[in-house]
Amino acid sequence: MNRSAPAGPCVRCWHIRDAPECIPAGPFGTAIFIHLKSMNSLAKASRKSAPHSVSPNRRRVGLLLLLPLIFAVLFSAAYPAAYLALTSISKSTMGKPFISWVGLNNFVSALQGDFAWSLMRTALFAIPTSLVQLILGVAIAVLLNSKMRFRSLGRTLLLLPLMSPPVMVGIAWKVMLHPTGGFVSRTLAQFAWLHTPSSFLGEMPWAILSIAAADTWQWTPFIVILVYATLQTLPAEFEEAARIDGAGYPRILFAVQLPLLAPALIAIYLLKLILSFKTFDLVYVLTSGGPGVETSLSSYKIWQTLFQDFNLGMASAQTLLLCLIVTLITLPVTWWHRRIQRTASL
Amino acid sequence: MNHQSTDNEHIRNVFTRRAFLGRAAKSALQLTLTGQLLLSKKALAGAYAGQSLNLVLIQPHKISGEVLSKSFAEQTGAKLNVTIVPYDVIEAQATLDVQSGANQFDVVEYWYASIGSLVENNVLQDVTDLITKDEATIKTSDYIRSIYDPYTLYKGKRWGLPYDGDSHVLFYNTTLLDKHKVNAPTTWDEYLVAAKTITEAEKQNGVYGAIVMGAAIPVIIGSTFANRLAGFGGEFLKADGTPNLESDAAFKAAKALLDVAPYALPTPVETAFEQAVPSFLDGKGAFVECWTDLGVYAQDAQKSKIIDQWDVVQLPVEKKGDQPRASLNAGFGLGLSTATKKKELAWEFVKWATGYQTALELLTTSNSGIDPTRITTLNAAEYKRFAPKVQRAANAALHGAVSWPTIPESPKMMRSLSEKLNRMLADRQSPELAIRQINSDWVQILQG
Repeated sequence: MNRSAPAGPCVRCWHIRDAPECIPAGPFGTAIFIHLKSMNSLAKASRKSAPHSVSPNRRRVGLLLLLPLIFAVLFSAAYPAAYLALTSISKSTMGKPFISWVGLNNFVSALQGDFAWSLMRTALFAIPTSLVQLILGVAIAVLLNSKMRFRSLGRTLLLLPLMSPPVMVGIAWKVMLHPTGGFVSRTLAQFAWLHTPSSFLGEMPWAILSIAAADTWQWTPFIVILVYATLQTLPAEFEEAARIDGAGYPRILFAVQLPLLAPALIAIYLLKLILSFKTFDLVYVLTSGGPGVETSLSSYKIWQTLFQDFNLGMASAQTLLLCLIVTLITLPVTWWHRRIQRTASL
Repeated sequence: MNHQSTDNEHIRNVFTRRAFLGRAAKSALQLTLTGQLLLSKKALAGAYAGQSLNLVLIQPHKISGEVLSKSFAEQTGAKLNVTIVPYDVIEAQATLDVQSGANQFDVVEYWYASIGSLVENNVLQDVTDLITKDEATIKTSDYIRSIYDPYTLYKGKRWGLPYDGDSHVLFYNTTLLDKHKVNAPTTWDEYLVAAKTITEAEKQNGVYGAIVMGAAIPVIIGSTFANRLAGFGGEFLKADGTPNLESDAAFKAAKALLDVAPYALPTPVETAFEQAVPSFLDGKGAFVECWTDLGVYAQDAQKSKIIDQWDVVQLPVEKKGDQPRASLNAGFGLGLSTATKKKELAWEFVKWATGYQTALELLTTSNSGIDPTRITTLNAAEYKRFAPKVQRAANAALHGAVSWPTIPESPKMMRSLSEKLNRMLADRQSPELAIRQINSDWVQILQG
């Protein structure tokens, strides 16, 4: 099939325009290409045929066609958001919502209590773990992208942690980290690095590091897949040109491939950062928030407030505070992402 | 198909002398064993046949649900649908069911410590008048005194009937105690010395003197602390409802917990029910404070390596001669959901399921997870035969047991207690500091 690239910015290399080879690779490449092409044609057609004024009948039909979407958005997004906002300024229990209006009291109480510390803990957990996972993910993806043997086996094995339910991941790590019979304790004891049974999940900083390790094990493959897919779409000409200029692979990686990947990597980091801020399952299974409250990340704390204390008003306020913190922390990353995209498209 | 001949055959069978006697004997047996005496005439007459009732139970009581479902269908013709949920989310499930308008559950099993919260959240129905009306069948005076009020009473009204009278007793491995010439302890000091002796001698073999459940889950570390609080003569709240944790008994209880931690199976802060029970059954620990149904598991060849190598005593006390006291850890009641549209049938079921005959059947069913709530079932010959060691210990300790707070703030208070005590164990903090922090938290929580 003779595939020619659609006009406009490329979806895979971000700053190369109208490259003739610019067709997404992989199983969905053709589909994406056709989709882009049709979207492009549609845009052109609409630009050509768009009348300056739309008849009232057409407008009514248009609105009618939009109704299902409007209802879907109202039910799936607007209603929960409004409910969350209203319960957060009310005294509400799980059984009796909206007992009375309390203004910002729930927010003040949340910020004065343990929850403020949980936000801090969550940020300190999410930012570095996401970064480590991104670095590991890129390293593994680059390895898979090279012409190594057993690549497909590696890719399949990598998918296993991703396919495992988080609760099972937690249980597996709990068994591995058990102080007496666990794989880690036994192995360390065999090499005489551990003389007495050690509590990985009951002592700090090991407890939070164990959660971070389990999270890394589970989520790094996700990053690998995204980075690998992006690497596959990079044009081979750049690598070939760099080789002709005498660059070795490390130079090609750092001077050519990573700059090309940068916008995608920032987007992946952003995604993983948000996922890390929502970590719940691993805390629930591995430590129950202990020792004390040292591993009580914000999502776990919100769960406790709602499902153990039945305090819906406070849980809503905590959820909004978490959203605010996530937004504040991800804003610079988003800004950086946009800036790089803009620079690339110039 | 010849329906006429089949019907005639059926009629002939019904009226043969042998069939009649057989059926009469079977009915008499059923009546005695599975609680038909507890059912109303209307229920026995089949008025509820074909109807269904939805019950929500905690996972550890799954087998009891199967027994109830079968017997209730046999006796009333009504179908009992049992929904099983994890024990730590049953209150949330019941509350959401009512609040969301799903109205799936007619009868709710509730942890007694959450009764205030469930009532305030409009989940449980007031059954005071129903209990009064059916007093002759229910026989409330038969409930163990220390259980009946905490399990059912809130703001002067009754909200359910006791179903599972959970409390801890002290299980021990007789082989390990004999080997190290240690006696079953009667005081917490003796318990500490015994645990230390065995751990120091057996640690290199992976065997420890004690298994201490100290995971940061209210029903886990809360129970472990409550056992000591009861033994040192303390209470969670004063008579006026204010916190009673800055008492001598509470400090001593926290100190006793901290003192035994170095000699316990590594590590107490990570040990919950699911780690403690298999370790004890595997012979890895000399002592474990646990719910009475561990005695059934200990004799189960598929689960236990210590069959006939264990015994049980009531929990230790402060000094010799003190009266042993149990703590009511994780007991459950059955109540009517405010969402039920089948109040009459639901009450019929609650009355029947918590009555003497049914309770006895559940008590003597392996792995049902049900412990005595009634004086007559606790002292029944069948229960004594079924679990003689556990029966002795429970009988000695259940009267005068310590109950957990049952006010609406109880879940939050017990969570604060579990987090602070877990931290104390993890960081080897002073018990005084931990107890003061908990007391201060409780004062704040109660002030709203």
